[in-house]
Amino acid sequence: MIIQAAINGIFFGAVYAMIGIGFSLVWGVMGIVNLAHGSFIMIGAYISFTLFAAYGLDPFASIPLVMIILFALAYCIQRFLINKVVRGPSFITLTFTFGLQILIANLCLLVWRADYRSVKLSYSSAQLVESGVITIPLVRFGIFAAAILLTILFYLFMRKTRTGIAINATALNYEGARTVGVDVNNIYAITFAVSAALAGAAGALMLPITSMNPFFGGDIINKAFVISVLGGLGSTVGALVGGMTLSLAETLGTVFLPSAAQELIGFVFFVAVLVFRPQGLLGKRFY
Amino acid sequence: MKRKSLTLCVLALLAVITISLPFLVSGFWVRQFTEIFMYAILASALNIIAGYTGYTAFGNMVFFGMGAYTVAILMTKANFPFAVAFVCAGGISVIAAVLLGMLLLRLKGQYFALGTTGAMLAVRQIVDIWSDLTGGTQGISVPRLPGTPYFANAFFYFFMLALLVVTVLFVSRLHKNRLGYAFKAIRANEEAANVMGINTTKYKIIAWSLSAFFTGLTGAVYAYWFSYIESKTVFDVLWVTNMFVMIIVGGMGTVLGPVVGAFLLQTVSRYFWSRYMTLHLGILGTIIIFAVLCIPNGILRVRWKGITGFLFEKFLAVKNAGAEKENR
Repeated sequence: MIIQAAINGIFFGAVYAMIGIGFSLVWGVMGIVNLAHGSFIMIGAYISFTLFAAYGLDPFASIPLVMIILFALAYCIQRFLINKVVRGPSFITLTFTFGLQILIANLCLLVWRADYRSVKLSYSSAQLVESGVITIPLVRFGIFAAAILLTILFYLFMRKTRTGIAINATALNYEGARTVGVDVNNIYAITFAVSAALAGAAGALMLPITSMNPFFGGDIINKAFVISVLGGLGSTVGALVGGMTLSLAETLGTVFLPSAAQELIGFVFFVAVLVFRPQGLLGKRFY
Repeated sequence: MKRKSLTLCVLALLAVITISLPFLVSGFWVRQFTEIFMYAILASALNIIAGYTGYTAFGNMVFFGMGAYTVAILMTKANFPFAVAFVCAGGISVIAAVLLGMLLLRLKGQYFALGTTGAMLAVRQIVDIWSDLTGGTQGISVPRLPGTPYFANAFFYFFMLALLVVTVLFVSRLHKNRLGYAFKAIRANEEAANVMGINTTKYKIIAWSLSAFFTGLTGAVYAYWFSYIESKTVFDVLWVTNMFVMIIVGGMGTVLGPVVGAFLLQTVSRYFWSRYMTLHLGILGTIIIFAVLCIPNGILRVRWKGITGFLFEKFLAVKNAGAEKENR
């Protein structure tokens, strides 16, 4: 029972890590707590759902398309809207992204209705490993593998490409990056777009094992806070650790605790980490 | 001299209108105005910590919920009269603000915003779990105000109005007294304020306690007014966001900004809510986005032209002249 819970926790932790990476990327680079991050996850899941329902496209196969759509959408949002307030104080960006979140939630409600949406895959009952002690469903393993693959790709993008290095440079020193010729507005837009693309992919990955509704975006944002605060801002490895920790705590917690107590402990732990270790559990702040 | 008498005339006119209003319009409108007053108090209270002191207390509704639950629990479980419970609500909010402040006010910017939000959600979970005392997720009923509905409407209208006047008068004092200068010094540059001999930790806690005091009292009135509360409405992030929008629209760190903002946003929001029920949140989101993009410094600081400009310059901006200068 506990081993099974731990395995489920680690597998799903990879998806949480993807959510946390995007969220803490935007926070670390631009200083924006993006309250609309959950909405991007939700849009990703809904696009994937529509592709499955209309064309029978497998959610795993729809990930590239979902990522491209969200990249384009988020690029425009940052380039034409958020860039105008990005240098403002924290309450401005918080309020702005919250406004964005309720707008997106309302649009999703109009387009996809309030019903719970989920997909049933033909191989959803197939098991990769099946023994007396543990079972690993194929779908969960696929989700894990895809999430880890995307995380590695993101890591390489940040380290090896010119754009990734420019993002790092902007995060380290805004004025300095501008001085050496980085188009900061463009880099901000790309950062936001990459973050949203990862969120969209996470949404598509969550679809086969959860159901989606228009309030999902507002609910999951609390988890993004916890993951990025646990991991520290802007570090890929940190987000992995944060995602795994939260996911393990949740799955193991359901074995031992009622869900309300579990959430309470989560929030208390979150505040405690914020107060006593604002640089995250691993100890590095920013890039 | 002329300006002063004009201001007095306008104030007298406003007083006459607000006092005679509940006798002239229907109960529905009286309740609408009571709600606007409530938002105006909450926004003004948030303005003390967020606008004057510069700390983004995104979880400020925690005190509203505490005030509301204090009244609900004391009135139902201990049979306290409302007046006593009302005072207790203010006291508990201040104690909570001091304790939370010692812990959280060392954080800055977004970290403080998230820390307060986390604290609010934690308190909400405690309320949900402790269902013997609080009714849990079912909510809790509060004894009704005895008397006719007509009397109740008028009672809460004047109660909120009085609380609003007290809050606004208090906040207006912050423009001139030492306390207000200390808050503004912290907002401008906390380290410099510290070096200049201001005990910043102390003043930050005072600022948050004052904010919590008025927020808690409003929560207390809300609980008695609605006579039913549940954790998901009294600890709602959407309310805090609304208050921030009101402050932003009206003007951060001004006396009347939050009041004007509350009036504008609530009127617009009500209008759309009654007309386009399903689109309400989307429209509110759009309003928020454009308010932040177009008037991030507030409507009171926009350079108005023509007759509106004259009215704004003469009456509303008078008290905000200090804030405007300092923000540059």
